[in-house]
Amino acid sequence: MAAGPDLSKRTPSAAGPDLAKRDPPDAAQAEAGMQAKAAAKPRLRGGRIGRWTPAWFVAPAVAALLAIGIFPLLFALVNSFRSYNLTRTRGGHPFIWFDNYADVLTDSSFQDAMIRTIGFLVTVLPIQVLLGMGIALLLHKPGVGFLKTLTRLSLVVPMATTYAVVGLIGRLLFNRDAGIVNYMAAQLGFGPIEWLGDADMAYVAVALMDIWQWTPFCALVFLAGLTMVPNEVEEAARLETKNWTSILRHVQLPYLLPGLTAILILRTADILKLFDMIFTMTRGGPGAATELVSVYIQRIGFRVFDQGAASAQAILLLVLTIILSRLYIRVVYQEVQQ
Amino acid sequence: MKTALLSGIAGLALTATAGSALAQDWTLEGAAEPYAGTTIDAIFLDRPGYRAIIELLPAFEEATGITVNYEILPYENSRERQVLDFTAGGDIDVVLVDLVWIGEFAENGWVVPISTFTDNPDLTDPELNLDGFFPLLLEAFGSWGGEVYGLPFDNYSGLLFYNRCMLEEAGFDGPPETWDALLNEYGPALTHPEEDQYAFALQSLRGETQSADSFMRVLWPFGGSLLDDTFHSNLLSDESQAGLQFRQDLMAYMPPGIVSYDHAEAVNALAQGQAAMITEWSAFYSTLVDPASSTIVDCLGVAPEPSGPAGRLPALGGFSLAVASQSSEEEQAATWLFIQWATSEAIARDYVEAGGVSGRTSIYEEPDIRETYMFVDPMVESWQAGVPEFRPRFPAWPELSDIIAEWGTRMMLGDVSIADGAEEIGSRMEEILDAEGYYDGSRELLQ
Repeated sequence: MAAGPDLSKRTPSAAGPDLAKRDPPDAAQAEAGMQAKAAAKPRLRGGRIGRWTPAWFVAPAVAALLAIGIFPLLFALVNSFRSYNLTRTRGGHPFIWFDNYADVLTDSSFQDAMIRTIGFLVTVLPIQVLLGMGIALLLHKPGVGFLKTLTRLSLVVPMATTYAVVGLIGRLLFNRDAGIVNYMAAQLGFGPIEWLGDADMAYVAVALMDIWQWTPFCALVFLAGLTMVPNEVEEAARLETKNWTSILRHVQLPYLLPGLTAILILRTADILKLFDMIFTMTRGGPGAATELVSVYIQRIGFRVFDQGAASAQAILLLVLTIILSRLYIRVVYQEVQQ
Repeated sequence: MKTALLSGIAGLALTATAGSALAQDWTLEGAAEPYAGTTIDAIFLDRPGYRAIIELLPAFEEATGITVNYEILPYENSRERQVLDFTAGGDIDVVLVDLVWIGEFAENGWVVPISTFTDNPDLTDPELNLDGFFPLLLEAFGSWGGEVYGLPFDNYSGLLFYNRCMLEEAGFDGPPETWDALLNEYGPALTHPEEDQYAFALQSLRGETQSADSFMRVLWPFGGSLLDDTFHSNLLSDESQAGLQFRQDLMAYMPPGIVSYDHAEAVNALAQGQAAMITEWSAFYSTLVDPASSTIVDCLGVAPEPSGPAGRLPALGGFSLAVASQSSEEEQAATWLFIQWATSEAIARDYVEAGGVSGRTSIYEEPDIRETYMFVDPMVESWQAGVPEFRPRFPAWPELSDIIAEWGTRMMLGDVSIADGAEEIGSRMEEILDAEGYYDGSRELLQ
């Protein structure tokens, strides 16, 4: 969340080179138009837009953010200091200050879930980044335009699929007896693999579904980054060397880093709050093998209905997300040197 | 002369309001007249009992002018949806009460005791006949602390469904009478992993399936229980340990990955000939006799669950319908009329024939019903005796259920030993019950 302002300043340059190229004239025109319309008033104030005008333009967005983002956050923060169980209405909801946090931090199930989540993050994220980078580089190569367009289009499909549906698809794919994954394995001579009934394999299955769903996102972001590299520079580099790794490292990588930062921040936040897919696929089981921290928080918040403890957990998760985001920005992000 | 006069008055009463002085002339139409045009909101599940009542619903709506607006939810979301609705002052009128929620709903005052309505002759059918419900069902599904809140609507008993052909092929002329026979005789004879055939499948997916269908099912028949008389853990007793050990031993004769089996998978394993026997809710009978979903229609057999050293104590589950206290007086009255109708003896036959399982005793005395539905006899037998607190029904159950679900599956996976897992469940459970106030005498020990 705290990463927001930094990103919003920088991402437009990373988002789409085509847009960036086209933007300036449009923006200039629009600005000119606005000034012409407002010509009468600003003239009185020395040709400048009224002091509150910009505030009015951002007011709707700020109001929406306050209502759907900030207010619930503050509400959760307050609740995290209270003993607040929805199903225990007698006795009210007294403030117990840091008791919830103390309970949560000493709860071994929460710790396990947290460790499992971090483990999941460091397993799937590098794989998604590497595969995404590979796909982007392949798509960036010249030639076979039609097929590449088709590929780019089909890359959107997994991303556009609802998490819950991905979980249901996963349940079918990895079904021991009727699943296509085991059918393929049998074709290759492997016995039926116990995907969802075995603790380790269930974890692998969930990780595979996440990788399937989000590798395309990485690929598309990297592809956008690659198209930003100025053609002359890239062509010059190609004349210079045939070694694609050094082109990647010295010419293309600087343009990929802003996208990479965005991927890291978004995917980290996503994985920390990954819930629907796991809930529909394994419900956190077998045992606690796939119980990531958000599945655990849902359990406390909406099965036990202990809003106090669940809020404390969610706040801790938010703090962790912010720390990781700042860390990514500090370590990975570098301004593109033009 | 007198009778003619009386019937004349009754005729008037029919067209005007309900004749409260003339109980024998009570009609649904008359009782509902002041509430015509009322809409009531209900929560239903996607299960045969609800599909049956939806089929019959037009008759009720036509007779009363009351509209029943139902929302179908997956079971796993239904408690969450209702609790949030009650705490936020929502619009649910017909409360769906799972056996294990009755304590929570009643103690929080979310449901209205039925005496509110039964005391009002305008609203209550003289043929309501509460004694016509199986006493175990009315007690377990609808009552808390001696007060009745809900009427049994969607009723289940655990039953042993078996593949008669597979059993005969292996030389058995009937289903096992005891759990011991199932493990030691039927188990080895019916399990052929190389042909992907197993003697038994016990749905054990983490969630209520693990805690209710798998874990609790092996405690009671072996003389064990979750809690002792003082509400402390009884899981380390010899009997409870024997039950849990039995489940572990039985896994040798179950398909691999049984901890990922929910109801659908277990029923399917039997329906597709992968498992020879399952213990499942009576409600799945209709799935197993439907040729579209079952390959063993002609081989299907149904029996009561096997008995253990402590007797036959099959799984007990089901839902009652209750009136929400958040509703307006009009909605409450309309809701009561609906609940009374849906669980009445008068529609019991239609309800059963549409695929529901009625909680009324009289309907199962009909010879043709007993003949058509082979689950009836074993089910009625199971409902004669049983423990209402098969799963404790106090407000803390959902919390305990989650703990049992996690550690129960870990036991089955061999992640922890039975003794260690039982100890872990016990200490976590006692911590919760302590916080609930069961140990310092501030709360009555109701389960």
